[in-house]
Amino acid sequence: MVSTAILEKFRFNLPKGLARRVLPGFLTLIAMVMILLICGAMQPRIWSQNGLTLIMSPIVALAIASMAQMVMMSIGDIDLGIGFFVGMITTIVATLLRETPILGVLALAGSVLAYALLGALVQLRSVPSLIATLGASFVWLGMGLFVLPVPGGSAPDWLFAYAFWQPPLSIPAPLVTMVVATALTWFVTRRTALGVRFRSLGSNPVALMRSGGSLVVTRMLAYGTVGLLGVLAGITLTAEIGGGDVNAVPGYTLTTVAAVILGGGMFTGGRAVAWGTLAGAVTLGLLTVLLTLLSLSSNLQPAVQGFIVIGVLAGRLVVERMTR
Amino acid sequence: MCPRQRWRGPFLQNGDIAVVLTKTISKTNTAAREPLVQVRRVVKTYGPTKALSGVTLDVHAGEVFGVVGHNGAGKSTLMRVLSGLDGVDSGSVQIGGATRPSGRGFPGVRMAYQEGSLAQELTVYENIYLSSKNWIADRRWHGAASRRAAARLDEIFPDHAIKPADYVDDLTLADRQMVEISRATIADDLSVLILDEPTESLSGSAVDHLYDYVRKLRSSNHAIILVSHRLKEILSVCDRVVVMKDGAVVSTHAAASVTEQDLFLAMGGEVVIEKPVQGTSQAATDSARPISIKVPMATVDGAATQIVAHKGEVIGLAGIAGQGQEKVLDRLWRRNGDVQVSAALAYVPGDRQRSGILPIWDVARNLTITALPSLGKNGIRQVDKENALVTKWVDQLKIRGGSSAAITGLSGGNQQKVIVARAFASDADTILLDDPFRGVDVHTKVELYQLIKSEARKGRTIVWYSSENSEMQHCDRAYVLRADRIAGELHGTDITDERIISLSFVEARGS
Repeated sequence: MVSTAILEKFRFNLPKGLARRVLPGFLTLIAMVMILLICGAMQPRIWSQNGLTLIMSPIVALAIASMAQMVMMSIGDIDLGIGFFVGMITTIVATLLRETPILGVLALAGSVLAYALLGALVQLRSVPSLIATLGASFVWLGMGLFVLPVPGGSAPDWLFAYAFWQPPLSIPAPLVTMVVATALTWFVTRRTALGVRFRSLGSNPVALMRSGGSLVVTRMLAYGTVGLLGVLAGITLTAEIGGGDVNAVPGYTLTTVAAVILGGGMFTGGRAVAWGTLAGAVTLGLLTVLLTLLSLSSNLQPAVQGFIVIGVLAGRLVVERMTR
Repeated sequence: MCPRQRWRGPFLQNGDIAVVLTKTISKTNTAAREPLVQVRRVVKTYGPTKALSGVTLDVHAGEVFGVVGHNGAGKSTLMRVLSGLDGVDSGSVQIGGATRPSGRGFPGVRMAYQEGSLAQELTVYENIYLSSKNWIADRRWHGAASRRAAARLDEIFPDHAIKPADYVDDLTLADRQMVEISRATIADDLSVLILDEPTESLSGSAVDHLYDYVRKLRSSNHAIILVSHRLKEILSVCDRVVVMKDGAVVSTHAAASVTEQDLFLAMGGEVVIEKPVQGTSQAATDSARPISIKVPMATVDGAATQIVAHKGEVIGLAGIAGQGQEKVLDRLWRRNGDVQVSAALAYVPGDRQRSGILPIWDVARNLTITALPSLGKNGIRQVDKENALVTKWVDQLKIRGGSSAAITGLSGGNQQKVIVARAFASDADTILLDDPFRGVDVHTKVELYQLIKSEARKGRTIVWYSSENSEMQHCDRAYVLRADRIAGELHGTDITDERIISLSFVEARGS
């Protein structure tokens, strides 16, 4: 009796629709903690600053790339080129940015601008984002091969310094990076006027238009934000692998979509779930660790990921049917 | 305040308000002498249709101005022009001194739309902020927007239960409409408020609250333009009412001196009534024929009734657009448990671009898609049979370009012929028509009306929803729908514009 009364009161105070939006990310967070606990039970040495840094540092770039995909999906688009884009950025960082920093910075800025122009193309010519970004992915691949035909190069010294950075209070460095990147993305998409425009573009472009907003400018800014996050993902990936390789992470393209879905995002746009996406990306990243600890082939990982995403989507559908 | 109170006396009694208004105001209040909204001979065309054909009207500050009219009268187009969403082809619009809209429309003009202007995935306060950004401080806008939203909702609808942080898609339709109305009123420079069917989904007390607020806005010298199908509400809240028909203003009335009946008549206007073909209606109303469909419905007073169609009958679903006609078709098409419907159905959609044509296929493939299963043999297509069928229909309907033309290369009328032929080429015995002849030229329409009649004579049942009242005279019987309920049934020669219009506005007794 008492507990239902409390639940009723709690429900009454909660804004309508909030639970439906927060719950998926929250469930993913629980899954993440459970995987972490299982890993920790099997290999207690991960409970240290070094251990956590070791298992989390490969996930940083994935988490930031997932933020990029999340922004893309919040406006109702999907990015099929983020994997090669991040790869291309590593080649720029490992060569141009190290040797001629000014040229490197210009090249990175140019990449962001290219993304913004891609957004203009999608809006003005009504090219589906899938096609536009898939086409662009071959451009990124070609550019990356042009900059660095074979994997190589070397991360700039300041990036090496970051890779060996040990924050105080034995907090793992990757955690700091991921949380900062997520907090920034959350702030832009949820707390700023720009974020409101992004989400209204994904939810109902007519509403945005009637309020006097420009669809082209909004989409260009959103794509620019995606490009910026992609550049950040590329920089952190360079720190992780120590050099540049355009073919480093083509799998990010679909893994990032999976992370956003796990975090509570939707293909139809309008939802920006930065924290949920972080939980999704970390969960998917930790799966690799878990499979390794279980001495299962990491080749199984894509299949396991696939089953999880399908399971989550199906489960969410069932829950929505029941609550409506 | 005082001078304006003085002129409202004669204003309500006199028929020719415009004159009285200008005269009286010129004596008392020089600032308001000019009408706030001046529309002069505005013409607006969309492709072949002339949506507005020379509209002239004035709206003054401090009045509630009603606009009524039936389907296609041009109300929505006029509102789009007034809110600055659409430009005009000729004529002029002047609102508060501005002659052309800026990027955000005319300054001071705000419109509450019937639907579609809220972003469903956003919260209430985010929607308010999106649309009223100019009047909400950028710093700490979450709190500011929430307070603005809550304050305005409380002001207009005192017993609402909406929290600013609620997500719009979790609100009921009535709540969404309240948010939409509040959204439109949150503007510091508000001078003209346009309300498009604001009460269609509101409950009784919310309707009263809204109109109390409208009166309050009027007394603070705002102009309110109210578009509604609910004539009773229009007459109770408006000062003046204009009746629109075929893209023009046909008459202006003082709300105090007209009745609902007068407005019906003005909306019906002078229509040439063609006699429907007598032969089919005689044969088809013969109730000895087997019943092919039955849809349980309610009358406007709540009594149970049903839509019945006999084999070989053409049944019309008429009334104001969006009053449940498409829901009836949908129930039939989905074969809801409560409807009785014949075995094979075919459906002709109204929106060819969205749900009609298969754009990259040619005419022949577009035409045979529905008939395909019955033409095949063990799942294998029989191309010769298909071609014979295509040739027959292309010849019969004179589809220009022939069977191998690309469907997108055809004119709208010819595309529509293909879509109609697709349904009739199948072996379906009941054909559902969902307002299929919108934007189709007259010649094509006449050919297709003939086709419908001849197919009905062959024993097919046609259920036809049309937003164009004059089309309904080709039906044997027509049901007029109002708010998802049946307002009346018309037979044969009784199916006229006037009868449909007057039934369209029937409201439940006692409401």
